[in-house]
Amino acid sequence: MLLELKNIFKWVNSGGQRVFLLKDINLKVDEGDFISIMGPSGSGKSTLLNVMGMLDGFNEGEYNFLEQSVHTLKEKKRATLYKEYIGFVFQSYHLLDELTVQENLEMPLLYKKFKGSERKAMVADMLDRFNIVGKKDLFPAQLSGGQQQLVGVARALIANPKLILADEPTGNLNSNQSEEIMQLFQQLNKEGVTIIQVTHSEKNAQYGKRIIQLLDGRMV
Amino acid sequence: MFKNYLKIAWRNLLRNKSFSLLNIIGLSIGLAVTAIITIWINFEMGYDRFHVNIDRVYEVNNIYPIGDEILTWNSTPKVMAEVIKKDYPEVEAVSRYYFNTSFLFAKDEKRIKSTGTIVDSDFLKIFTFPLLQGNLNTVFEDVNSVVITETFAKKLFGSKSPIGQLVTIDNSDSFKVTGILKDLPKNSSFNFEFLLPWAYLHQKGWSDDNWGNNSVATYVMLKKGTDFKSFSKKIKTLRERYDKGSPKMKTMLYPYSRTWLYGEFKNGVETGGRIDIIRMFGIIAAIILIIACINFMNLSTARSEKRAKEVGIRKVIGAEKGALIAQFLGESILISFLAALLAFIFILVTLPSFSILIDKPIALDLTNSSFWLAALGIIILTGILAGSYPALYLSAFKPSAVLKGTFKKMNSSITPRKVLVVLQFAAAIIFITASIIVMQQLNKVQDRQAGYNKNNLIYTEIEGDMEKNYNLIKNELLRSGAASSVTKTNAPMTESMSNTWDIKWEGKDPNDKTLVNRFIVDDAIIKTTGMQLIAGRDFDLKKYPTDSTAVILNESAVKLMNFNDPVGKIIKDFGIDWHVIGVAKDFVLKSPFQKIEPLVIQGAKGWFSFIHIKLNKEVSTSENLAVIEAIFKKYNPEYPFSYEFIDSAYASKFDDQKRIGRLVNLFTLLTIFISCLGLFGLASYMAENRIKEIGIRKVLGASVQSITTLLSIDFLKLVLIAIVIAVPISWYLTSSWLEEFAFRITISWWIFLAAGVLALVIAFFTVGYQAIKAAVVNPVKSLRSE
Repeated sequence: MLLELKNIFKWVNSGGQRVFLLKDINLKVDEGDFISIMGPSGSGKSTLLNVMGMLDGFNEGEYNFLEQSVHTLKEKKRATLYKEYIGFVFQSYHLLDELTVQENLEMPLLYKKFKGSERKAMVADMLDRFNIVGKKDLFPAQLSGGQQQLVGVARALIANPKLILADEPTGNLNSNQSEEIMQLFQQLNKEGVTIIQVTHSEKNAQYGKRIIQLLDGRMV
Repeated sequence: MFKNYLKIAWRNLLRNKSFSLLNIIGLSIGLAVTAIITIWINFEMGYDRFHVNIDRVYEVNNIYPIGDEILTWNSTPKVMAEVIKKDYPEVEAVSRYYFNTSFLFAKDEKRIKSTGTIVDSDFLKIFTFPLLQGNLNTVFEDVNSVVITETFAKKLFGSKSPIGQLVTIDNSDSFKVTGILKDLPKNSSFNFEFLLPWAYLHQKGWSDDNWGNNSVATYVMLKKGTDFKSFSKKIKTLRERYDKGSPKMKTMLYPYSRTWLYGEFKNGVETGGRIDIIRMFGIIAAIILIIACINFMNLSTARSEKRAKEVGIRKVIGAEKGALIAQFLGESILISFLAALLAFIFILVTLPSFSILIDKPIALDLTNSSFWLAALGIIILTGILAGSYPALYLSAFKPSAVLKGTFKKMNSSITPRKVLVVLQFAAAIIFITASIIVMQQLNKVQDRQAGYNKNNLIYTEIEGDMEKNYNLIKNELLRSGAASSVTKTNAPMTESMSNTWDIKWEGKDPNDKTLVNRFIVDDAIIKTTGMQLIAGRDFDLKKYPTDSTAVILNESAVKLMNFNDPVGKIIKDFGIDWHVIGVAKDFVLKSPFQKIEPLVIQGAKGWFSFIHIKLNKEVSTSENLAVIEAIFKKYNPEYPFSYEFIDSAYASKFDDQKRIGRLVNLFTLLTIFISCLGLFGLASYMAENRIKEIGIRKVLGASVQSITTLLSIDFLKLVLIAIVIAVPISWYLTSSWLEEFAFRITISWWIFLAAGVLALVIAFFTVGYQAIKAAVVNPVKSLRSE
């Protein structure tokens, strides 16, 4: 088992009232899973994704990731955990505008303290694998949306994470580009990467092996 | 990693050219000002420190209560040095220093006037000015030996070897050059081109063993390991054994290293000196650097939203807080480095003019490794100082918030920045009021009536045959028509060279020790200088030969002596009865900034050093001067004729304060400029921050004008707060500066009002531009961007 959420609650206090963002979430994710999270706006999809990605905390419940209880870990430990095992993909790509494609890919490796020669090899590998060698010296603004997201996925993958969390990865793309990214996800999943995606699109959700529906912070 | 930071930082700089430029220019001005002032302070602090034994060298001072004040001064009797040498085994060496004197040096056809002095043979052992040639132990062995500086030797002898050469001094004595000194460092408080042995004083008959004649400086060097405290106690009562006239006068050793920077005494206690000004400008330098750094923080955090996304991304892909802090600090150090490069250019360009402004030969020593070390230190320190707040602020963003676009425009984060703006403007207002007040004070003093006619009046020092031929010179000057009146005096009209508390008059309180200035003239002083007579008449030796013991009082002296009808009264000085022949209206003899002191103008029974000449105003000055020069050349052929205009000598009394005025103005402008950069940055941030609000308001029908007001008003409030903070501080600072002057302006309230209004106007124009720019944006655009 990769991760397990047990009775997760998350709330904020607004105007003296408790507003629940997540209510009693229980979820088990095995290695090799491909999960699509669906639900209307404000139902807590992104919050759930952020909690799983350890970008956000929660108020109650237990979260175990690879046999470690995340909720009891120190900040530093938690950071090393997600640095090593999790990669993120965003709706608006979130590439660094000041860096070229190649440099964007290299970024996570720098923070993970890989050696120069290793970094070079891994970046070259990734450029090759995603067929973007010709674009390596371009800046994000010089790429189409689909190409940017390709780089975004490549960046998430470069340090060989076990889990990819994608928050509406195709939300800004046209249907052709969407198709391409989803097929890429499927391919990656076949190669053993666990994927959890948030999506609005019924069609894209079908790429997942499992669909979770959220409504007002509850799983339905 | 480092390379990556550098790359991002560099590309960020290029992407936001105007922002980067504001930042770098602001910071570079701050750095340049700090560096220049530091160079200056360093120069001042280095005064006299080059003497190897400086820690053991002391200047002999007297402490003596006079009236209700305790005076401290540093001239001593000539015999004191001999007594100290004889009585105190702790003393390794003693040397006297006759006051700086100007002598004419003659070598073949060359005539050069030079300033130097007479010292004891141990002088160069105490003060280790290095000898390039000559033997330290024997240079002063012979009475007729002279030690000269390298540059002076070149002037006198050209390329010939100077050692052993003969040179005639003051037209009478022939001296052999026995030593060549390396030129004195620029920050030496001694300033001489030649040194003569003390024995020469005896030969000339200028020496005396009168304990009442305090006329030379005495320096002692204690033996290594001497306990200064116990030695001070021992030497304190020296005069009890020797000085019959004032046995109670205390002898005090003052560390020579402190004489330049401190050396001012009040009631026997050290109260400061040049260090005061240095401290003041040190503080100003620090304030300007801090303001520049504040700016940097403001401009950087103002752009934080643009950087927020980057922070979020970096955190998500694995950056820890420490790495982000390092990145932002690195960026600010890079900016600080670029600013330092620009500052370096500023320094190179402005240092010569600044050196003229402060009248000190300061220069940048690029070969000095400590300069580069200090520069590196300042760059890094400034980078960290300026970058710390943005670094901490930016690195604390939560990625889940920034990346999802729910990143709240953090209005709370503006508070520390508002505080910074208030501080900047408070400093600017303090500077503005200070420069207005300094300017007013200067104007007031410059407008003060000198009390005599400074125009067409010159003076020349009596030297060579001038004394001997004075009557011939005077007659010929008057006959030639170049001069309308000629008077011999003991001092120039712009100085007091003699004073005493010993003048007696009828009804004087024996405890009254008020100092009275002496001015000594031979004849016709009123006619020559155009002072105003209130009562009596001018000196006229031809008509009244007894005028050689006559005296003219000034009004203050009349008041002091409490004479109802002063003319005809007798006062006693030097054991002579002087009869009062006139009263002159008070005039400025010493400082125009101070109260006019009592003055007696004594007649011809005195000694003279200067000749004042009133030029004929019917003839052009240059013609007059040509005629006068020819006459002096005729009767005093060995000496070049040199003279000074009284009006320019008078004007130079303002030099110090004018200099301060100019410096304050300069720093005021810089502070305002840098503060405006900061405000500009903050205003642009504000405009960006509220763009949606402005859009909504416009859709609802707000006019451009109402939006501009809305946006400006917040900043004007800040400036108002700054005014409230600045006024009391500024009032306190400027009034304590004015305390120094007896003749001074009263600070009026409108100065603060004016400074405040000025600050408001400047702030309004700075903010207004941004506000209008934000107000005219089409709301369709701004609302869509959300």
